[in-house]
Amino acid sequence: MAEPAYTVASDSDTTGEEKSSSAFPEIAIGIDVGTSQCSVAVWNGSEVVILKNTRNQKKMRSYVTFKDDIPSGGVSHQLSHEHEMLSGAAIFNMKRLIGRVDTDPVVHSSKSLPFLVQTLDIGVRPFIAALVNNVWRSTTPEEVLAIFLVELKAMAEVQLKRPIRNVVLTIPVSFSRFQVTRIERACAMAGLHVLRLMPEPTAVALLYAQQQQQAVHENIGGGAEKIALILNMGAGYCDVAVTATAGGVSQIKALAGSAIGGEDILQNTMHHLLPDLEILFSKHGINEIKSTGLLRVATQDAIHKLSSQTSVQIDVDLGNELKICKVVDQEEFEEVNKNVFEKCESLIIQCLHDAKVQTEDVADIIVVGGCSYIPKLRNLVMSVCKRQELYKGMNPVEAAVCGAALEGAVASGISDPFGSLDLLTIQVTPLAIGIRADGNKFVPVIPRNTTMPTRKELAFTTVHDNQTEALIVVYEGEGEKVEENHLLGYFKIMGIPPAPKGVPEINVCMDIDASNVLRVLAGVVLPGSRHPAIPVMEVRMPTVDDGHGWCVEALHRTYGSGLDLVTIQKKI
Amino acid sequence: MKLWTPLSTILRRTLPSIPYFPTSQFQSPTYNFSPSPPSSSTNSPNSLTHNFHFPLKTFCSGSPENFHVRCWTCGHVAKAALFLVCDSCRTIQPVDQSVDYFHIFGLERKFDIGVENLEGKYKEWQKKLHPDLVHSKSEEERGYAAEQSGRVIDAYRTLSKPLLRAIYVLRLEGVDVDEEETLSDPELLSEILEIREAVEEAADSQELNQIQSQMREKLSHWSNSFANAYRCRNFEEAQNSIRRMTYYERVNEEIVKKL
Ligand SMILES: [Zn+2]
Repeated sequence: MAEPAYTVASDSDTTGEEKSSSAFPEIAIGIDVGTSQCSVAVWNGSEVVILKNTRNQKKMRSYVTFKDDIPSGGVSHQLSHEHEMLSGAAIFNMKRLIGRVDTDPVVHSSKSLPFLVQTLDIGVRPFIAALVNNVWRSTTPEEVLAIFLVELKAMAEVQLKRPIRNVVLTIPVSFSRFQVTRIERACAMAGLHVLRLMPEPTAVALLYAQQQQQAVHENIGGGAEKIALILNMGAGYCDVAVTATAGGVSQIKALAGSAIGGEDILQNTMHHLLPDLEILFSKHGINEIKSTGLLRVATQDAIHKLSSQTSVQIDVDLGNELKICKVVDQEEFEEVNKNVFEKCESLIIQCLHDAKVQTEDVADIIVVGGCSYIPKLRNLVMSVCKRQELYKGMNPVEAAVCGAALEGAVASGISDPFGSLDLLTIQVTPLAIGIRADGNKFVPVIPRNTTMPTRKELAFTTVHDNQTEALIVVYEGEGEKVEENHLLGYFKIMGIPPAPKGVPEINVCMDIDASNVLRVLAGVVLPGSRHPAIPVMEVRMPTVDDGHGWCVEALHRTYGSGLDLVTIQKKI
Repeated sequence: MKLWTPLSTILRRTLPSIPYFPTSQFQSPTYNFSPSPPSSSTNSPNSLTHNFHFPLKTFCSGSPENFHVRCWTCGHVAKAALFLVCDSCRTIQPVDQSVDYFHIFGLERKFDIGVENLEGKYKEWQKKLHPDLVHSKSEEERGYAAEQSGRVIDAYRTLSKPLLRAIYVLRLEGVDVDEEETLSDPELLSEILEIREAVEEAADSQELNQIQSQMREKLSHWSNSFANAYRCRNFEEAQNSIRRMTYYERVNEEIVKKL
């Protein structure tokens, strides 16, 4: 069959690669690239094993250092001491920065990191650079991630004694489809093919489904459906999922997530210890970088201690006659990070609400990720869920990567004689997808937490008499106003037959297929006609391949409201 | 609330190459689809997917007229009309529109069904049909998996929600319900306006919860009255109940948004 005349597909380098089937399927490895740490796991034929690097570490620091102009990452590189990472030569937290424009608050909060993050606040990608021999060498989060992935790939290849190509990667729930393309780009740069991207708590949900299935086989508990609430909080993100599990199938009921995590706790606490931090750091000279680095290490250390003791003594000499000597107790720590914990709480409440699940129906509460050791977080989850204890069957820092490895085996078509891979995750859309209409509003066409694959449509109409063109600007997110969401792309419908405003019906249809590819279709129909006035336009999203926040403003300046749309009201 | 989702599963498979808005016939290897006869009773008459409505006859026929279906890969002859997966080689089969949602869930075609067992059956199907599980199979089978799995999702959603189920059973009887129809009953109109006002002016979540529980009561009342009307094949009354349920459901949605 011929391609329709009006299909517009992105020419992005990461699209639509078909995997050929072979007699011996290659088992995809699972990778959990965290904001601060990373791990790799694989199904070895009977169980999931976590790979170790040459220094016998399961957890590797996620960073790349540009010292001596030859970049090396945390997989192979051995830090001589912690401060080496904070000298300005190392780039880390790439998962927080990837796919974000310089107006993003998350980018702004990264400015006190030792390497350079500069913003012009015009909606382009931020200027990110590492200090190499006193010169700022510019880089991108994709490049850093790709260098890191190359090392991970090499490590896995040595250990598994085979070439690695297919991977299952975990990603934060709040990642937009644009950010996903950035991750895919980094993988492609590293010679990896992304078989599946799993929101982190859904990887944990898959591991939970396997554990429940095993419990049924061993006759512990019945095979009835069990609902679990999963909270995964690492350095960069806090994600929540509600899953209903039965017979090895994990149906995700709802997801909620936000770019809030251990990094925010660290920065809040640093500000608490040194309120003038911003002023000190704005110069970004070598001495300032060093001082901030010292403070960062001391604060990190203190937070770590607070997970097992009620108060901690901080004693650090930042140089330049700046000394910090302070005792911080648990209560103070919780007060300083109130905003973080409140956000976590609201995510849990929202997720339970979206899943239409009452707390008493939740069988297990699973808290994982680097922040799961923080007493306040554990107590908070138990208090929201009205429970006395948390699920104990998982290693909190290994759960996500193990789930990714299971998915890697399942998606590679591997079966297990004992039924250990008789598993399935049914995913939902983590964010709503919609268009700009009714002025500056974000109008969702596919609501969040819709089971995938899916197809939804919504009708709009013109705002001006004889309006012949309309702009379809596609966003993804949760904000009411478009600027609070991620831009995925835009296209123009032309040739709308002249008619009074409100008469032409402009149908916008969004389709997410089984491979999680999003297509946006737009068609125009005039009343009384059963046929489209113009050929239906179909566009694969996202179309933007760089931070394009400024494009929307340019569109605005050029067209004003001339190409606007409004939703058609439901009749009463 | 678009009942016509089955047609989108057709679109889903052939999406990139569908001749949009064909003037006559859309040919598929197994079945003939033709544009639905002009009627004023679809809920979204200008829907992009509209022209792929199935003629009601094909849609409704649960009869075993296609009993000689064979597996498209191994040639195994289907033993039953419900042939989603081949019993012999486990290959996923193309969608057969004559199999209705009740059939998929092994249920008798009626409104009063127990929804407790739906989820289990739904998961059972997904374990056989979900596209993730045939990732390494042929493109053709992956297409069927996406279609079948999508259809089971639609079936599950439709059957588990009373309002959607009500609309569906009526449609199987050849009766279309226009959910977007303008309200003509002045009594119902003023009642709805009143409730909406109450929702808008509700001071706190307690008040909203109160209205919500009233809506639940009304919904269950009209759901019962639908069940009776449907049993007596009084489709006029059944449609009336659906209209009521639609409005109360919308109020409910608004409350949920505000809560
Ligand atoms: Zn067969």
